[in-house]
Order: sequence, then C-alpha cells, then structure tokens
Amino acid sequence: MSAPLVIAVPSKGRLQADAQALFARAGLEIESANGSRSYRGRVSNLANVEVAFLSAPEIAREIGMGTVYAGITGRDQVEETVPDFAARTELTLPLGFGRCDVVVAVPEPWIDVDTMEDLDDVAADFRPRHGRRLTVATKYISITRRFFAGHGIADYRIVESLGATEGAPATGAADLIVDITTTGATLRANGLKVLADGVILSSEAHLVASRALAWDTAQKAAYAAITAKLKAALARR
Amino acid sequence: MTEQYAPLRTLLSEAGYAFVEPPVVHPASVFVELAGEDLRRQLFLTTAADGSELALRPDYTIPVCLQHLAAGPAKRRASYAYLGPVFRLGIGDSGEAVQAGVESLGRTDRVAADADVLKLAFAAAALLGVKRPSVTVGDSSLFATLLDELDLNAPWQRRLERAFGDTAKLKAFIARSNGKAKPAHHSDLEGATATLVKAAVEERFAATGLGQAGGRTSSEIAERFIEKAAIAEGVKPRVAAALTSFLAIRGTPADALAELRALAKREKIDFGKALDRFEKRNDAFAAHGIDLDRLTFAADFGRRLDYYTGFVFEFRRTKTAKEAIVGGGRYDKMTAHIGAGKEAVPAVGFAIWLDRIGAAS
Repeated sequence: MSAPLVIAVPSKGRLQADAQALFARAGLEIESANGSRSYRGRVSNLANVEVAFLSAPEIAREIGMGTVYAGITGRDQVEETVPDFAARTELTLPLGFGRCDVVVAVPEPWIDVDTMEDLDDVAADFRPRHGRRLTVATKYISITRRFFAGHGIADYRIVESLGATEGAPATGAADLIVDITTTGATLRANGLKVLADGVILSSEAHLVASRALAWDTAQKAAYAAITAKLKAALARR
Repeated sequence: MTEQYAPLRTLLSEAGYAFVEPPVVHPASVFVELAGEDLRRQLFLTTAADGSELALRPDYTIPVCLQHLAAGPAKRRASYAYLGPVFRLGIGDSGEAVQAGVESLGRTDRVAADADVLKLAFAAAALLGVKRPSVTVGDSSLFATLLDELDLNAPWQRRLERAFGDTAKLKAFIARSNGKAKPAHHSDLEGATATLVKAAVEERFAATGLGQAGGRTSSEIAERFIEKAAIAEGVKPRVAAALTSFLAIRGTPADALAELRALAKREKIDFGKALDRFEKRNDAFAAHGIDLDRLTFAADFGRRLDYYTGFVFEFRRTKTAKEAIVGGGRYDKMTAHIGAGKEAVPAVGFAIWLDRIGAAS
C-alpha cells in the first residue's frame, strides 16, 4: 500500500468552519484522530487519506515545500508564502469562501493620488522632501514587492506589519498600506482609499495541490475523488 | 579563496589603491534607504538582539564610502581597493560572489579620474584573461541636459529623468506624447487655487483623523494636485521626437559625438558643459592609450540609482554576452545620501565580478 495522501486543512477560525462545512456537504466528514485537540485526522469513507490541521499560512508553505500533497488555503497565502508559486503549486479548485482582495490603500486626503503611477511620482519625490523613504505597512511582503516592481516603483520601503495594518497611517507607523479587504469598510473607517489600479489580487480559498513532490497513482486517484466530490457539492448550491 | 588573485592585488596596489576590508554586516537601512526596496529583495537579512535589521553587504561601494566618511573629512582624496565576498540572494549557486574593485574619492579633476579608472579596469580585465572586452559607456549628464533644454513641464521632466536607465519605461512615457487626460476625480477642485486646494486637503485630514506628522503635508499634496493638469498634457510630439532620436544614438565615441552635434543643431539644443566634458573625456581616454574603437557609447545606458551622476561603463566578454563582468562609473551624490554631513564628494570606481570571469574562462 502506498503512503497516504496528506491533505492540510485550516485548524482555526472562519476558514476552518467553512472548509469543514463544505467537506460535510460533499459527503466527506473530517474526523480528528483523538477528539478536537488533535493535529491529525482522517476523512470518513476515504482510506489512504490523512488530514493535517494547520494554519492557513503554514498550509501554503507546506504545500510549497512538498511536505503535504494538498491543502485548503487562500490564493493570497500561496502567492505570499511560496517562492516560485506558479511552478510549485496548482490551484485545483476555487471553493467560494474566504473571499478578499489584496489592495494598495493610501490616505484619503491624498487627493492627488488615484493610480499607481501617481504613487510612483510621490515615492520618487518623497525622500528629497522628507529625508526618508516612503513606507508601506503590510504583511504581504512578497506580493507587495512583485506588484510595486511591476509598476516600476522602487523608491519605498516596507514596514512589516503583524496585525491592524489599516491603522499604520493613523499612528504614523507607515505612509500607506497593502492589506486585504472584503467590503472596504475598515479601510474607509481608517481614512484610507484603494487606488483605481491598486487591486493586486482577488483571493479566495482554493483546493491547492503541491507540484513539489512525486505523486503515485493511488494518491492521484484519492485527490481526484476529493476534487470531484467538492466540485459536485459546489455545483449543487 | 583569494590567493589566486594575487596578481590582481598587485596591479591595484601598484596603481595607488590601498586595500581595505570593511565589515560584512551593516544595518539593513543603509542599503535600503539608498537603493530602495528593490535591492532589499536581494539582501541577506538577519535580526540583531535589539530587533534592528542587519544585512550582509550586497556590494563594497557603500561600505567603503561609509568607512571613508567615518575616518576623516569627507572631501579628502583617497583611493581604495577591495577584494572579497559580496552577498545577494539569487547570484550564483549560494548567493555569494567574489568582487574586486576600486573607489577613487575626492578627485576634482573628474575627467582625468574617469580615464584613470577606465584604464585600470582594462588592465585588470586583461590580467584576468579578457583581452578584448566589449565595453559600453554612457553619460547620464547628457540626458539631464537634454531634458533641461527641451520644452518639458516640471513633472514630466522629473519622470523622464528618473526613468533614465530603464529604456522600456522611458519609451512608454515618451509614447504618451499628447497624453490622454484622465477624468478628474475631484472635479469640484478643478482649476482651484493652491490655497483653496490646501484648505480642502486639510479638511479631509481633519475629517479622517489622519495626522500629517512626518508624512505628506497638505501643501505638498495641493502642489502636486495642481501639477496633475501638466501631467495630463504629456510630452509634446516634437519633444518626443527629439528624445527618441537622442536615445537611439549608439556607436563609437567619435560617431556618437558627431550624432550629438547634429541633434543639437537640428533641435537647437545647447548641450553645453555636458558635451564639452564628453569630448574631453574621450580625448583623455585616447591620451591614456585606450583604444576608443573598443568603446560603444549608448545614449540610453545608465543606472537607475540616483547617486550615479554621469559617466558609467560596463565590460562584457563579448558584445552579446548577457552578464557584465565589470561595472563602474561616477557616483558623486552617494556620500551626500549616506553621510551625516550631506557633503557630496567626487567619486568614481568599478567592481569586477570575479566569479563571472572565472566561470567563463
């Protein structure tokens, strides 16, 4: 018998509840090995499948490193956490929950800044005026660098934020932010606006497969079965 | 690691450069403030016990200049040489590469200093087995002078100046001649005076509860808001044509000089001192025994970093080789950016990528 297909699912929060619910609708009950505190589990009716309970960023990282075969995590986590994500991962199936946009947001009073091109001008002009670089607070460091580089913006620096990023401009911790938003209400409440071309990516939870390890026939078959059942459950809605 | 380069050490020492070995580890902010977030991507970072961010040096130029500034008056003359490892994520197999090079600081006879440094770069390449390198030279002061002379509004002049060295971006900017005006997002303030716009911005700061301390001020925002009308105008077609012909100039220094003169005459541009310097520098190269026909001047060749102020050069093993084996140039503004005294010190130097030369030979 081959090694089990290890699939990582979120261990906490909204993502966990949504993932559990979707699996249940697909007829796949996720069972913890020893009650709810366990980090390992199984999927009922599927032999040869093992479940690992991890946080969403960990799931993306483990898929990228090939220590699990597949998992459920946000596209934002995959693109942020996995270097060379296009080659190392496959977004198999969008799951319809965990939706959010990763956006560039600046103080609303910056009435001269509507686009990334405006931001480029402001960034270049900032150091001569203020003696320091323009700062961007974010926890999405890789995504921010790629997006800013794509717009030819180099004159800035990132301030790593570990929470409440939207408050950074108000406290003076940074000049602008890159963060996730769903309705934009939190950003507005903090006096921030999203740039017209500042939506970096529209994310949602995905079933993600790892391309960083070798799959055998049994593992491929188990993954195809799970994918088909989830797809059917999503179609029934 | 470096015994094999003993002859190179001798060459640089005998040319009057004193070998220095600055620290490997520096506060990351030194590099990031100078070169921007794009460089940070390549930095090996670690955290000090107090939480501050440290980086392994990605080159020698910044550490050598810091050492120079720490050791005495900024403007004193000094000639430094170095040979050792630099660290960047993504170079080579391990992120570590060996560089050798020189930095000549404080020489006010800039043209002669440029020629001395280029001649030494040729000698070093020859010593390492590259007898007939393909050498590209550029001079951003010609482009800066051209922008001054052309009929450009201030925001576009700044945009074009800072895009120099990134020819694709520059061409995209130029292609937007007669720029299509974007719809205004704040039409109520269209055509308003600076005072009025500033008041509106201040109102918004008050309404959102955001402070201005240390960040963009309301006058700065108002100033640029008014400037946006000029941005929407774009670049005039005649100016775009002149820029395009300038950027296409490429050839031996003699051919380039003839083309620059023809362009100046046709477009009534006075390149002034920048062209004089270009000519004198070429004469100095010839006087130093450098074969001018080995040099290709490219009008669009420059480095994006704003501390490079004029003459730049790059050696390749062959014309079509992808990687440069030597990179150098004049960076008169660097000490002003990193020094406490903000003093600009004339500076020119080069770095040799020894692994690239070794790997290919």
